[in-house]
Amino acid sequence: MPPILAASDLHFLDFLHYPPIAIEQGSMTFVQGPSGCGKSTLLRLFNATATPSAGQVLFDGQDIAGLDTIQLRRDVLLVSQATYLFDDTIEGNFLRYYELREQTPPAQQQMRDCLALCCADFELSASCSTLSGGERQRVFLAIFLSFAPRVLLLDEPTSALDEATARQLMEQLKAHCVAQQITVVVVSHDRQLAQQYADATIILAKGAAE
Amino acid sequence: MKGVVEIQLWQFGLIYLLLLIVVGVMKKCHVNQSRLLVWASVRMSVQLVLAGLVLTYIFKNPHPALTLLYLTAMIGFAIYRVLSKNKGINRRFQQVIGLSIALPGLFVAAFFIYIVVGETSFDPQYIIPIAGMIMGNAMNGVTLGIKTFRETLESQRPRMEALLNAGATPRSILMPFMSQSLETALLPTMNSMLGMGIVSLPGMMTGQILSGTLPTTAILYQIAIMIAICTVVCLATFGSLYFGLKTLYNSRNQILL
Repeated sequence: MPPILAASDLHFLDFLHYPPIAIEQGSMTFVQGPSGCGKSTLLRLFNATATPSAGQVLFDGQDIAGLDTIQLRRDVLLVSQATYLFDDTIEGNFLRYYELREQTPPAQQQMRDCLALCCADFELSASCSTLSGGERQRVFLAIFLSFAPRVLLLDEPTSALDEATARQLMEQLKAHCVAQQITVVVVSHDRQLAQQYADATIILAKGAAE
Repeated sequence: MKGVVEIQLWQFGLIYLLLLIVVGVMKKCHVNQSRLLVWASVRMSVQLVLAGLVLTYIFKNPHPALTLLYLTAMIGFAIYRVLSKNKGINRRFQQVIGLSIALPGLFVAAFFIYIVVGETSFDPQYIIPIAGMIMGNAMNGVTLGIKTFRETLESQRPRMEALLNAGATPRSILMPFMSQSLETALLPTMNSMLGMGIVSLPGMMTGQILSGTLPTTAILYQIAIMIAICTVVCLATFGSLYFGLKTLYNSRNQILL
């Protein structure tokens, strides 16, 4: 089966040069490397919120330069490190995100299922302004997971979580994504997490890949 | 009604004494802006004296070319002020702002003078003061609107990033910021309209009454100019933001900040 995401000769500005990349469908791939080596930028190149200065990214065998970027971002969904929730209830946030995507929101039970999957078993009526940083991160992830993308790009998904919650989240996330055939690319500094859950690992070095 | 009482120059000079009170308050409160106050007062006085001299010349020698020149300078300065208060805007956005001030400003001024007042000639006595009030308010409204818009963009980067990643269009992400900025730009004018006649007798009306115009006539002019100002602030700010917004994203739906 051809890789769902691939990149060749990928450069960003003058200082980031990536090795050839091939991400298998349905796999969980970790991207690791020191700060500033271009891990987060790689995810932005995958969802076309950044444009490479050279090289190409292929999604499903097609160069993303020719694809509709809005549809691409829905298929290749990036959950960034900087989370954003509206000053509203959890349900209100689901509704507002779906409204912005001009889509019908899921049923309440489906919202609860996504929250449970992300270790965020809060009432839908709970106000997001009272949640802690880690809780907000999980609610944010739950909303994005409910969009049912084909590829999920996670930028430091466990950065605001304690170790036990981080493990539980990754455990549940992996099981869900395997069952749903969702490909996952995770940027993480946590080597243990990668050893435990990665099907493949991409190691980047500063400036040029190893 | 009697005409306006001429002020003697020495009497006029007494008004500057009030500034000493302002300086005193500033010193007491450690507001170190006395130099700015003096500079602003001097600059304002010189600018107005020069404007008075130029207008006297133009009114005595009315010629369409001179009026047009004055109008052009007025519009050019209004655009320059807005852009100098909002540095770092891309070139296309700057052009949009320029057009959005000039076109609605000219349209509203022409509507006021030729349709509402019913003037038929290119009389500088009507065109310059009315266009001045309209352009001045357009300038203030757009400055406020663009400043609010830029500050919102700066403070809402995580929101824009998250929504863009979620698959929302840049337009749907930026539109709420536009609405908020337009509202901010319109608020001073609307507040001023609410208090008018109760809290304040505005400049144009005061000027006309002082120069001997019947208050009933002055009121009609004032109502008309306030509606014209509200319209031009709305149109100029809306045009700047609505069309300027399109310069902030590219065909790849990337927000360019």
